[in-house]
Amino acid sequence: MLEFREVGKRYGVSEVALDRVSLKIPRGQFCAVIGPSGAGKSTLLHTVNGMVMPSTGTILFSSIPITRKTLKQIRPRIGMIHQQFNLVDRLSVLSNVLTGALPHLSTFRSWLNLFPLELQRKACDIFADVGLEEKHLYRRASDLSGGQQQRVAIARAFLMNPDLVLADEPVASLDPKISEDILRLLRDASRRTNTAVLCSLHQVNLAKEYADRVVALHKGRIAYDDGAGGLTEDVLAEIYGHSSSVRDRAVHRTKMSQIPMSPKREASAP
Amino acid sequence: MSARSIKEEKECPPEKWRLRHPYGWKTVAILLLLTLFLPFSARRVDVYKGLRMSAEGVADASGIREDSSVGRGWRSFFDAAFPLVLAEKTAVARIENLNRERLPRFSTIVKEPIREYDLASGEWKVTEEVEYLVEPFGYLLRVIRLMLDTVEIALWGTILALLIALPLGYCSAKDYAPYGVLYGLARGVCSLHRAIPELISAMFFVLMFGFGPVPGILALGIHSSGFLGKFFADDIENTPPGPQDALRCIGANQLKVIRFAVLPQVMPQYLAYLQYILERNVRTATVLGIVGAGGIGMELKGRWDLSDFGHVSTILLVVFLTVLLLEKLTQRVRKKMM
Repeated sequence: MLEFREVGKRYGVSEVALDRVSLKIPRGQFCAVIGPSGAGKSTLLHTVNGMVMPSTGTILFSSIPITRKTLKQIRPRIGMIHQQFNLVDRLSVLSNVLTGALPHLSTFRSWLNLFPLELQRKACDIFADVGLEEKHLYRRASDLSGGQQQRVAIARAFLMNPDLVLADEPVASLDPKISEDILRLLRDASRRTNTAVLCSLHQVNLAKEYADRVVALHKGRIAYDDGAGGLTEDVLAEIYGHSSSVRDRAVHRTKMSQIPMSPKREASAP
Repeated sequence: MSARSIKEEKECPPEKWRLRHPYGWKTVAILLLLTLFLPFSARRVDVYKGLRMSAEGVADASGIREDSSVGRGWRSFFDAAFPLVLAEKTAVARIENLNRERLPRFSTIVKEPIREYDLASGEWKVTEEVEYLVEPFGYLLRVIRLMLDTVEIALWGTILALLIALPLGYCSAKDYAPYGVLYGLARGVCSLHRAIPELISAMFFVLMFGFGPVPGILALGIHSSGFLGKFFADDIENTPPGPQDALRCIGANQLKVIRFAVLPQVMPQYLAYLQYILERNVRTATVLGIVGAGGIGMELKGRWDLSDFGHVSTILLVVFLTVLLLEKLTQRVRKKMM
């Protein structure tokens, strides 16, 4: 369904973000991408929906090569979940979910906020699936907690039955308990709708627990690509380039991620 | 910071780290320049004279001094400003088809003698009696009607400004302008519209469209659109990029991104700007009448020229109350919409 063929990406002359990455992700698979900061996880995800265009290689989505010309056709079939949720604070929660259908709606209708009733009903169903209630529908997104906002973001991503969902560190801003809930939700939604999920994560333990497959990046190269069972201490030490306390590192990152940070532009639009 | 400088800093012990002074040489230079320039400029624009006259005025008002230029000027207005003139007195002879049986409500006809000085006898003599129709609140009602005209001019001026500013703001926002040339052009138009004072453009429009509200509406609309366009553009540029990226990356086009990720975020500021522009336009529209662009300004100028300060006070009171009322009203509307 999604195939990376020798994909490379350079920022400037010297900085290599991706180095000849080749991957195949079949429909319905939950694939976690792990690796240290700067390993190229976010770049890998952003090359799929064209937020970053690869310097070399080809990416095929349902056998269609991803280029600037095909983006218009491909983007509506890909959902995306962001680390900072990226909801529109002042819009109602329902409106935020419905924005997931914008590519499928005419500009005229969307400007008049005329979403079809069936679509609104479908949004309600997904809303319930992600554990939110009717009372949340018309609340402002900014009034929800971080965990609830990420649930809304998941509902938005899955609204139009995408073939693929990209999740860029979806639990980096959440506490460990909520992080588990969100990943469980993401995995269940993926299985229920047979949607492939490509999810970058910092927490190795979560990747081991929820992903069908783990791809580890190190300096832009694939350092590991297999089931979660093969992620031994030695393998992790090789990925993170450090001999000890990989687990501590993961815990530390989880704690650090709970410190509220200002939203940061992850990637510029093409 | 480069990796090398980080390394150098790590090697340097904290007690040797270079700390910046709170005031750099640029701040000192600016302060020095201001210290030199302001006294020079103050002399050129009579700031010292203004201060001296104000001090004399304060001394006059507090009884320390017997007379002052400021005090005289103030008294010449204040003594004639009260009581406010609310009634309208019109000579009956100037009213066409007046039905004496059905006078306007609360109106009365009064006779007032016309006295002339008789040179032969050296006395004042009544030569004739003139009938006047006195409407107790006639003048107040006329001023209110003129004020309503003024508010309507301001309202249409604001609507025109909004219609011009929306596309102008969109094209003046970096990352949104369809072409670089259009961005520069739109920013230029914004600056141009702001640079032309309403009073000047109103004079031109009076030449083109004649006396009446239209020149006022156009003058206000064009000047305000320069402000609104710039404010709109700045707000669009400062909107958080995250939600916009989120919609862009699933394939939403630019117009949809604007509608769902930009407009909801900037709406409170937009409403605040509109409220301010409307209030400002009401205030400015009261002045535009001076050049014949409709509204209450013409009446104000006429009464001022005749030194009818009682009438002027009534006009000023109505203007003040209208602006106050409008502010309260727009605040309420804004609160509801937010």
